[in-house]
Amino acid sequence: MNILLLLIPLSLLFLAGAVWVFFWAVNHDQFDDLETPGLLPLDDLDRRERPPQ
Amino acid sequence: MQSCPNCWHCGEPLPAGGVIHARVAGTARPMCCHGCKAAAEWIEQLGLADYYALRTAPAQRAAAEAGSASHDAWAGADNARHVIRDLGNGQRESLLLVDGVRCTACVWLIERSLGVMPGVVSVQVNAVAQRARVVWRDSQTTLPLLLQALARTGYRALPLDARGLDDLRRRESRDALKRLLVAGFGAMQAMMYATAFYLGAADALDAPTRDLLRWLGLLVATPVVFYSARPFFAGARRSLAARRVGMDVPVAMAIAAVYSMSLIEAVRGSGEVYFDSVSMFVFFLLAGRYLEMRARHRARDLTDALARLTPPFADRKGEDGIQRVGIHELRVGDVVRVAEGGIVPADGVLLSERCRVDESLLSGESAPQSRCRDDSLIAGSVLEDGPVLLRVRRVGADTALAGIAALVGRAHAGRPRLQVAGELAAGRFVARVLALTALTAGAWAIVDPSRAFPAAVAVLVISCPCAFALAVPAALTRALGALARRGVLVVKPDAIQALADCTHVLFDKTGTLTEPTLSLRDVQTFGSNTDALRLAATLARQSRHPVARAIAAADAGIPGAAMCDVATHAGLGVSATIDGRALRLGRGDFAVAHQPLAREYDDAVLLADDVGPIAAFRVSERLRADAGTAIDALRAQGVTALIASGDATNKVAGIAARLNISTWRARALPADKLAWVAELRAGGARVLAVGDGVNDAPVLAGADVSIALAEGAELTQASSDIVLTGGRLEAIAYARDIARQTLAIVRQNQRWALIYNLSAVPLAALGFVPPWLAALGMSLSSLGVILNALRIGRGVPPRETPHPSPPATTAPSEAVA
Repeated sequence: MNILLLLIPLSLLFLAGAVWVFFWAVNHDQFDDLETPGLLPLDDLDRRERPPQ
Repeated sequence: MQSCPNCWHCGEPLPAGGVIHARVAGTARPMCCHGCKAAAEWIEQLGLADYYALRTAPAQRAAAEAGSASHDAWAGADNARHVIRDLGNGQRESLLLVDGVRCTACVWLIERSLGVMPGVVSVQVNAVAQRARVVWRDSQTTLPLLLQALARTGYRALPLDARGLDDLRRRESRDALKRLLVAGFGAMQAMMYATAFYLGAADALDAPTRDLLRWLGLLVATPVVFYSARPFFAGARRSLAARRVGMDVPVAMAIAAVYSMSLIEAVRGSGEVYFDSVSMFVFFLLAGRYLEMRARHRARDLTDALARLTPPFADRKGEDGIQRVGIHELRVGDVVRVAEGGIVPADGVLLSERCRVDESLLSGESAPQSRCRDDSLIAGSVLEDGPVLLRVRRVGADTALAGIAALVGRAHAGRPRLQVAGELAAGRFVARVLALTALTAGAWAIVDPSRAFPAAVAVLVISCPCAFALAVPAALTRALGALARRGVLVVKPDAIQALADCTHVLFDKTGTLTEPTLSLRDVQTFGSNTDALRLAATLARQSRHPVARAIAAADAGIPGAAMCDVATHAGLGVSATIDGRALRLGRGDFAVAHQPLAREYDDAVLLADDVGPIAAFRVSERLRADAGTAIDALRAQGVTALIASGDATNKVAGIAARLNISTWRARALPADKLAWVAELRAGGARVLAVGDGVNDAPVLAGADVSIALAEGAELTQASSDIVLTGGRLEAIAYARDIARQTLAIVRQNQRWALIYNLSAVPLAALGFVPPWLAALGMSLSSLGVILNALRIGRGVPPRETPHPSPPATTAPSEAVA
């Protein structure tokens, strides 16, 4: 059972890491718009030169 | 390919004569109007013609006067301060509400077309919310230029208050997501530590390990209770402060009781701990609320978009005529002109003789109020007949915004009856649950004190009224979202119930069953009047009726004509004195009241002065492509379709015959239509009114439920329960399907919640249910309600319009000429 003393702190560490990463993502606009980024691949279809204004 | 009867850009049927073409990607494409032609050519010029290949829905019809003066009004410092955020180092940011974002290719097109402009730093488009966030360098471009560029591409855009709503809402959804995640992780971990106990391994564990597991449970459950569950405590405190028993009260009590009891057990090092139960309880509750919040935001994005498109501009009268300015530029003492159906932009005093205004937004009084010269008008009220002049007395962002905010707010402020009833039921239920909990605790304290606490907690948790309280809002928000995606915007959520129950649909003809834009077919003059059309066009500009607009569009009118005594007569026509001549434009019996006219002028619009008729105008109209299928679909649902129109008998009869509608009334004034609605309702019918023009406002208000087509005058939108965007009549039958499904699911949900509680609570009170099982049961019952609500809109076939996608997929016969 001594292995618990290693595994439990490890799992808590992972947990804290996951929460931190997730909070970072939420605070950096990653979850604000879940639909539009799906359209970004459309960019690849733009093969033309940008015209002068 | 060229036989395609629809406009290449917007997909609308082409006008009968004089089709124009634009070259797109080397091919000449037919265009319905100059607005679309300009937009298509501009898109081609930018090298973005791929848009037409990428899109999945036709574009919105482009406005003809792209780059009109209204954009320049945003240049004023007063307006700019409101909508532009200064990011420092010469960069500015604005949030634009873009009307007409219909498919994913629009996002691409907007980002590209703005992106190539010099000085534009970044463009982010959110297709669902119809918003674009633009950052630009102040030295190289300006907001009016950006708006103009969007207008040239065919999108109407309106800058939103830069600090407003969105940040608040973004914070709400971010907070909810974080709380949900913390609760989820916490529940997961706590469950892991608790599994050892549940599997009976506890006996095999030595005491220190058991203690360790208890403390670890405490460690992970603490942030769940103190961070994730905070909204429940806050909600409970609020409802207790208001002396009510909301659904948060038992939830907060259960969380607090289970947590503190487990804490005591952990410290004492004996007995059961329920850290896993409490974490799971919080997690599932938050999950339900999160789903509900997302559906709510989504529905609100779309209804907001509509309400906000009401232009925040006013027509100010200065020395050099009438000028369009931003509402914030108005000063006390300015004279402002308000058109029929327009919204009074600021508090002021009426300068014209008299008018009628609808102040229902502000006072709740639905009957229009009469106002005479020198009476005051309130910002935000809607002018029923006009145009009128008023002198501004109170301005400032407060008044002007109050008017707009009233429009937005009204859509959301009123809580649906269905929901109020649901909440009342839940409230009574909560009171009973609390009583039952106390009874259980009391009874067990006598029988077996050691089991009193677990049993009481189980009762509290298992009967948490979440399933009850969620039954209505979950279904409603889901329905609103499903409808909004189909272009049906529900302004008053009560409408869903009424829509499901309706038995008769009363259609207006002009602009509803037929296309909103008419065109002038021919002009017949009496005698040698050469400027008849110009006079008529000048007069017609005073009205928003579709026929008037067709005449106004045919000629520029007389610029700067000395016009006085302007009055619009609902259902009849317009009268005014131009250059000393008293002129009337409208129905034959209105324009030429004192002499009988030949029957052939029955369906014509006449221009007359005091001497006699000057000219007769005939406009042609076109049935909407989906009118037939829409009415067939409604008929299949057992709904009776009716037509009430102010138009000539033979025209109405023709349309009715084509749509197989046997009951119709022609030559009906608004009062006649209203009387008919009252008659139908007296006969036990539930009437849905569908309309478009200003003439319909009273009918829409008088029916059980009303639908306005979004192109209609602002007035109609203001008084209808549901707004249909895109002019797709077929969506009505779909909306009714959804409404019926919603009601069915609400009833199902309520029944399910009742059965669950009736069967589970006695077991819990008798002590057969451990708290963890209670938490699981409660969560599953709420989740069941939400998942059931999510079925709304899934089972209903979408009844997709065979939408005129550009290459000839639409049979020519569908666009009835």
